[in-house]
Amino acid sequence: MTAGLRRWGLLAPSLAIVGLFVVAPLGIIAFVSTLDRGPQGTVVWDRHSLDAYAQFLFERDLMGRLTLNTDYLRIFGRSILLAALTTVLTLLMGFPTALWMAFQPPRRRGLLVFVVTVPFWTNLLVRNFSWILLLRDGGVIDAALRRLGLTSGPIEVLYTPFATAIGLTYSFLPYMILPIYVSLEKLDRRLIEAAFDLGADRWRALTRVILPLAMPGVVAGAILVFVPGLGAFISPELLGGAKSMMIGNLIQEQFGQSRNWPFGAALAFVLLALVLLALGLHALRFRRERASP
Amino acid sequence: MLDAVTAAGGVAATTDAAVDCRALTKSFAAGTVRAVDDVSLAIRSNEFFTLLGPSGCGKTTMLRLIAGFETQDSGSVFVHGQKLDGLPPYRRPVNTVFQSYAVFPHLTVEENIAFGLEMQRRPRPEIAARVAEMMALVKLEGLEKRKPGQLSGGQQQRVALARALANQPRVLLLDEPLAALDLKLRTEMQLELKRLQAQTGITFVFVTHDQHEAMTMSDRIAVMRAGKVLQVGTSADIYDRPASLFVADFIGDTNLLEATRIGARRFRLANGVELDAAEEGAGDKVMLAVRPERGVLVAPGGEGLPGIVEQAVYVGADTTYHLRLAGGLRLRLRDQNRDGSAARRAPGDAVAVLIAPAAVRVLAP
Repeated sequence: MTAGLRRWGLLAPSLAIVGLFVVAPLGIIAFVSTLDRGPQGTVVWDRHSLDAYAQFLFERDLMGRLTLNTDYLRIFGRSILLAALTTVLTLLMGFPTALWMAFQPPRRRGLLVFVVTVPFWTNLLVRNFSWILLLRDGGVIDAALRRLGLTSGPIEVLYTPFATAIGLTYSFLPYMILPIYVSLEKLDRRLIEAAFDLGADRWRALTRVILPLAMPGVVAGAILVFVPGLGAFISPELLGGAKSMMIGNLIQEQFGQSRNWPFGAALAFVLLALVLLALGLHALRFRRERASP
Repeated sequence: MLDAVTAAGGVAATTDAAVDCRALTKSFAAGTVRAVDDVSLAIRSNEFFTLLGPSGCGKTTMLRLIAGFETQDSGSVFVHGQKLDGLPPYRRPVNTVFQSYAVFPHLTVEENIAFGLEMQRRPRPEIAARVAEMMALVKLEGLEKRKPGQLSGGQQQRVALARALANQPRVLLLDEPLAALDLKLRTEMQLELKRLQAQTGITFVFVTHDQHEAMTMSDRIAVMRAGKVLQVGTSADIYDRPASLFVADFIGDTNLLEATRIGARRFRLANGVELDAAEEGAGDKVMLAVRPERGVLVAPGGEGLPGIVEQAVYVGADTTYHLRLAGGLRLRLRDQNRDGSAARRAPGDAVAVLIAPAAVRVLAP
């Protein structure tokens, strides 16, 4: 009995932290998402409904009937697409970078890890602003291309989903490089030599030995990029313009200009459900893979 | 020196050489460390050949040069007449068994063994048949679907062996493959390797720092030190007829006695005692090497060098006597306990030692 008490006593601090910083905020969001919106953008604390969730798919027309509204679905779709694209792009750029880093002499490796983390020293907002200077018409890239005679008119990249993708890829690249680097760095070099020894050329040593063994790092990197990418709002806000709004912007808007807290809370919950679904599917696949001989 | 070939003199390319290294040199750390220093070596076909030496002598570098993991600064490697210089490891007709096994942890036992065959794009039925054959050869039947993490060290070693042999290399390179195994398993695997070599007819090039292991398995041994091959020969060659002081000292236990020449085959030791040898050797100042088991302990007073037992180390099968001869000269002598432990001599006993001329090896100091 005392042992049980002792265990709970020792667990109490972490339970308190998890309760205070994870369960409670989520509980508040969940509660708010079931409330009604008040007339001045406040919430009515004692009137419950699921209108906020209904608003996600339907809108009330002038006659008071519910009609399907795909605007928000489209924003979700775009977010998933952009987050997936970002994951693929960061993987394509991050894996070779991490591989190259892992094969440097030990002392240089430390320096390179440091270099990869340098962007974290500056505010994300500032770094995305600087992309505006690079991408805008008449900006650095546009001017350079025109001077070289490669383009005649403005490049018209800024304020498109493409610019958002560039911003997201730039912002999340370190989150892909670092976990892959960690898994490659501890990879036994003799395994690569063994692959060469058994007749694998560089490409097949990469695909048959290095890549499978670096998979935990790749998966970790993909989760670290895809999940926050889904909820990103700085890059789409600054670089994407009105036409490439993402879930993050939509939620931010509900708590900001639109003053529609229940809807914002409901959106946040739908996003959370999506992320949990994606992670759950991954865990399921992973478990099946481990179970199979 | 019978068929012992000293590397320093250079070896003419023989047609039946499985591996022919010519003037191989490899430096590390910007040329400051010569890991392999102008080594020429001819390894015969179907031979169990061992590179033996203390750690850092360059034996593993030799193996990595043959496998193609390192590139030599100068010199050439031929395998069955084919020049391998500049070829990447995956284009060389050799396979390697690594010290740390280097079995692919993400593949099952049979996938590991099939790896090399798949790289050669062999047809599926052939791969399946060869994998089954290899599983039987290394006695791993029933473990096909296991992952390396579920195997013991000895079993992983067998997977590594089977994986390398599946490609049917003409030459198999083994880099201290038994170093991580415990003594009992190591002894078992030594015989196993010898059996596999005889059964497959593949040339084995084996690297070890363990002379017992080398002598147990090898047809011929190359003793290496500081990037040089000092002597190549059979176990008996390097044990009974060491070519240099280092080989005499490194292989087995030996008494090294400074001596001065007083006749063609007669030498005077530091304490004034004279000793006959069966061979002449060279030079006036020499070093006489006498194996501890070659001397015979007899009762004092008659023939032989008189001395006193300082210490007797009894290890069951034999006893090693540390003797002090006249003039303070020290000598170790190993005596088999044929009559059991009762007949042992005790410290302080006066004895005499007979050393036959054939037991004395004359070396340059």
